[in-house]
Amino acid sequence: MALTRRVFLKNSALAVVGTTAIPSFLTRAAFADVNSTGKKRMVVLFQRGAADGLNIVVPHGEPTYYQMRPTIAIPRASVIDLDGLFGLHPSMAAFKPLWDSKQLAIVHASGSPDNTRSHFDAQDYMESGTPGVKSTEDGWLNRALQKEWEKQSPFRAVALGTALPRTLAGPNPAVAISNINEFGVGGRNAGPAAGGLSNSFESMYAQSVDSVLHGTGQETFEAVKMLKSADPAKYTPAANANYPRGRFGDSLKQVAQLLKADLGVEVAFADIGGWDHHVNEGSTQGQIANLTREFSQAIAAFWTDIGNLGGETVLVTMSEFGRTARENGSRGTDHGHANVMFVLGGPVKGGKVYGRWPGLDSRHLYEGRDLEVTTDFRTVLSEGLSRHMGNSQLASVFPGFRASGKDFLGLIG
Amino acid sequence: MTLKSKRLIAVVIFIAISSASASLLLAKSKPKKSVAQMDDSQRALHALNRLTFGPRPGDIDKVKAIGVDKWIDQQLSPDKIDDSALQSRLEPFRTLRMDSRTLVQNFPPPQVIKAVADGRLRMPSDPKERAIYEAQLENYKNRAERKAQNDNAAATKSDDGNMANDMAPEAMDRRAERREARMNANSDADALLQKSPQDRFNAVLKMPADERRIMVQGFQPEEREKLLQGMSAEQREQLQALANPQGVITNELVQSKLIRAIYSERQLDEVMTDFWFNHFNVFVQKGADRVLTTSYERDAIRPHALGKFKDLLMATATHPAMLFYLDNFQSVGPNSIAAQRGGGRGANLANNRNQRRETFFQRIGLAPQPRRQRPQQQRNPNNMDPNAAPKPQRGVNENYARELMELHTLGVDGGYTQQDIIEVAKVLTGWTIKQPQLGGSFEFNDKLHEPGEKHILGQKINEDGEKEGKKVLEMLAKHPSTAKFISRKLAMRFVSDTPPQSLIDSMSATYLKSDGDIKEVLRTMFKSPEFWSPESYRAKVKTPLEFVVSAVRITGSDVSNAQPLAQTLQRLGMPLYGMQPPTGYSMKADAWVNSAALLNRMNFGLALASGKLRGISVNKDLLMKDSMPPADADAAVAVISNAILAGDISQQTRDTIRKQLDDPTLNQRNVTDPMKQLGVIAGLVLGSPEFQRR
Repeated sequence: MALTRRVFLKNSALAVVGTTAIPSFLTRAAFADVNSTGKKRMVVLFQRGAADGLNIVVPHGEPTYYQMRPTIAIPRASVIDLDGLFGLHPSMAAFKPLWDSKQLAIVHASGSPDNTRSHFDAQDYMESGTPGVKSTEDGWLNRALQKEWEKQSPFRAVALGTALPRTLAGPNPAVAISNINEFGVGGRNAGPAAGGLSNSFESMYAQSVDSVLHGTGQETFEAVKMLKSADPAKYTPAANANYPRGRFGDSLKQVAQLLKADLGVEVAFADIGGWDHHVNEGSTQGQIANLTREFSQAIAAFWTDIGNLGGETVLVTMSEFGRTARENGSRGTDHGHANVMFVLGGPVKGGKVYGRWPGLDSRHLYEGRDLEVTTDFRTVLSEGLSRHMGNSQLASVFPGFRASGKDFLGLIG
Repeated sequence: MTLKSKRLIAVVIFIAISSASASLLLAKSKPKKSVAQMDDSQRALHALNRLTFGPRPGDIDKVKAIGVDKWIDQQLSPDKIDDSALQSRLEPFRTLRMDSRTLVQNFPPPQVIKAVADGRLRMPSDPKERAIYEAQLENYKNRAERKAQNDNAAATKSDDGNMANDMAPEAMDRRAERREARMNANSDADALLQKSPQDRFNAVLKMPADERRIMVQGFQPEEREKLLQGMSAEQREQLQALANPQGVITNELVQSKLIRAIYSERQLDEVMTDFWFNHFNVFVQKGADRVLTTSYERDAIRPHALGKFKDLLMATATHPAMLFYLDNFQSVGPNSIAAQRGGGRGANLANNRNQRRETFFQRIGLAPQPRRQRPQQQRNPNNMDPNAAPKPQRGVNENYARELMELHTLGVDGGYTQQDIIEVAKVLTGWTIKQPQLGGSFEFNDKLHEPGEKHILGQKINEDGEKEGKKVLEMLAKHPSTAKFISRKLAMRFVSDTPPQSLIDSMSATYLKSDGDIKEVLRTMFKSPEFWSPESYRAKVKTPLEFVVSAVRITGSDVSNAQPLAQTLQRLGMPLYGMQPPTGYSMKADAWVNSAALLNRMNFGLALASGKLRGISVNKDLLMKDSMPPADADAAVAVISNAILAGDISQQTRDTIRKQLDDPTLNQRNVTDPMKQLGVIAGLVLGSPEFQRR
């Protein structure tokens, strides 16, 4: 069977919703309470290409780090020290206030236990939430949406970008949006006929027997209508939210708009590529510096932008695997194992680097070359889902993996 | 050898049995699914949907007249198909015929401009070329100026914490100057557009770079087109290069790919060129690949698209575009002569880089530039553990070796280990590029090559310089895992997202029997019952490229400018030559079916059909065949939906479209005229669920 979320049973239920039916968001809108509290949200960010965690949260207290990375290490004096052992890459200064205010936590030496060093497989495993199991059809973030979906917003699960990520594949509806200002028939400059044409397309897709296209069409038009009535474009970024230019900043800016427009977003996903630095990775300047700057500034701007909503929001970052502890022969790093995760949020007990640090001593390196994984990424996500989102079905989110209260790191609470 | 041939026979026998049982299974499943066999028209359409980028008006009848099998045979021998009409459409894209070195010279990349700015490279004497260099120099200086400004602003900010957008007074003056220049330029622009093409060209060329830039920036797209009207292809290129020289190369590459997909008569060859480019993906925006990708597709991919896989593999492995993209050109054996030189095992990278630089610039007639010395200790004063301070070490880069096995040949489950990756990387040390930034060529550099024997997939590779790599590539090309991996991927492109194992097995058998002959593997697939099974009919959701090109083809559109199509593909998440990771684009439905993409597809369909895409016009006569003008709205809906979907349109979709034509907002806009309605109808059909499949 094709790996598609449309194979699930929901299609039969959707088929009864025609163009004339009252969209569920309208009935819901009556009860909507803008910027209300108590709506828990999770924002999931993926650094594609295997970010070099050792140059992002730098173990500057370890001499071995400098021995292993003669040209690309971040000099001690440049590191933004956090706790004497670890420090942030200097271009991530935007994270420091979040750390100081104890909203930002770090989990080092975290990642997937699977030993693959294939980008594709490792991303797949991290997004499906089942390392080593290729047959999983849906993603963990979709499975984390456990409640009955009919009553939920079409924006309950949203991904910014031109594709729906693997992690949101599954039985629950999820929408992909590349640009909220163009999200509709007719695009940005929709003419007077756009409404009618939109209805026609909606009708075609609603009645289609093509299960793949039918389901997506349905979700799309519900989302289009809801977005139109909420008009998130009026929620411009807060004055001091300085998003960097580029796709990632744009993505987060739009996530913030969706949150502020109170569209019922429960989980949001965005990604940032370009981390595969095999050659000339750079140190305090260069590729890694530019990318970490964009990454941290966008997240910090997002955090400023959503203001009070931060109290109900947890943001978590991940990357498919880390990179070799030693730099390679071309001033870069090759595919490695453990990495670093950031967890940011109102309920987060930040200002601390969590996880057991295995060290960079050769004896402790995974397969003699990479940082060892001491915290399974699913443990971190489980804690977020359980303690923050109130999800009690972790066994179905991460089948075959058990992380209970006693395994949690105490990140949230 | 004997062992291998025994295994081969075993495989063949196994496949014979399994395909026999598969067809049995298929026969059994048929009545259950109650899907009718394809009729002649459907067979023709199916073949067109799979072997081409979509049928054009009249294609189904043509294929039926030739006979489906014969037509497939014709497509498998593209050299015998006349494609002169396409060739004349490609004529204006001069960069397609240039070698990489000429491209660098005519469309200088930033490195070359920097070399000129630093006085390491002389300006070309040809006035036309000179203008391009001058314009880039001006840009280069402006950028430097802006950067200095930003640095100043940042310094100001950190000094007093004030976000004041302070600007140096000189910069303010410059800005005012530019504003004035812009106003002057605007008034001159009208006069300019009245001139003859040759006078216009000369006038623009003579303008000071700054003035020219400002004028062009102030132009509307139509004015820009007017500016270039009537000029030769070369003149157009030169004027475009004034703004962005590298952009000329990528723009022509992208446009020509679309033009070929739309107009080539050798459709299967085009589909396979696209398939293999995607399989051996490189990213055109990565450094030197901006220049090298043109040659990569033309010289490494296209000639072998229907040839032997091993030739294709070798051509990609030795092409500078791939060597650059997956970093192999930087890979150095840790025990190689180069690494040994300059002190023990760890050679001094900085020195080596300096040496390379010298050669690089000496060869283009430049005096070697004294490089800024950046020794380790100086760069990081007091920061590093003083006891550590090791010399940087040149070594292997695993990137290409890994993707070679994971993505190009064996597949991720093909039975190799991390150790195999390291060993393959060692074998391929020394496979490098001569002068990468100057459109360089493949070079085996023995000094970078790791000595000693290597062990790969349980086989010993004796030390043999460049030949080691060739041996390993051949080994990988004929590996049964490769046969399976390539067969599956082909079947996913041509049959379904989840092709039956029986089909993969018979294709793999052909692959192994024919020494990886792509044409024979395809033939096996096209003759297979699985390919023709009713379950395969319209089973594939189109990728964005397939969707866009098929829409243009079926509407008989004339494309004088493919740029809007390229932009659509960007919005649909499939920028041409723009896939950064080495996996290439997915061919499966789930990668492309999502809300954002569906809306963009609908919007593209509407825009195309209503003539809103600049430089692209739908041929309504062709679309309507003999039914022009349509008797009434009903007739128009019937004719267009049949023309675009060959009858594969649901009653609901047809009714919905018919109802749409009564929409009062359309009537207010005076779209009651059936001719105007054609655009609305065609747009809706192109955006319908039915048209998303092939």
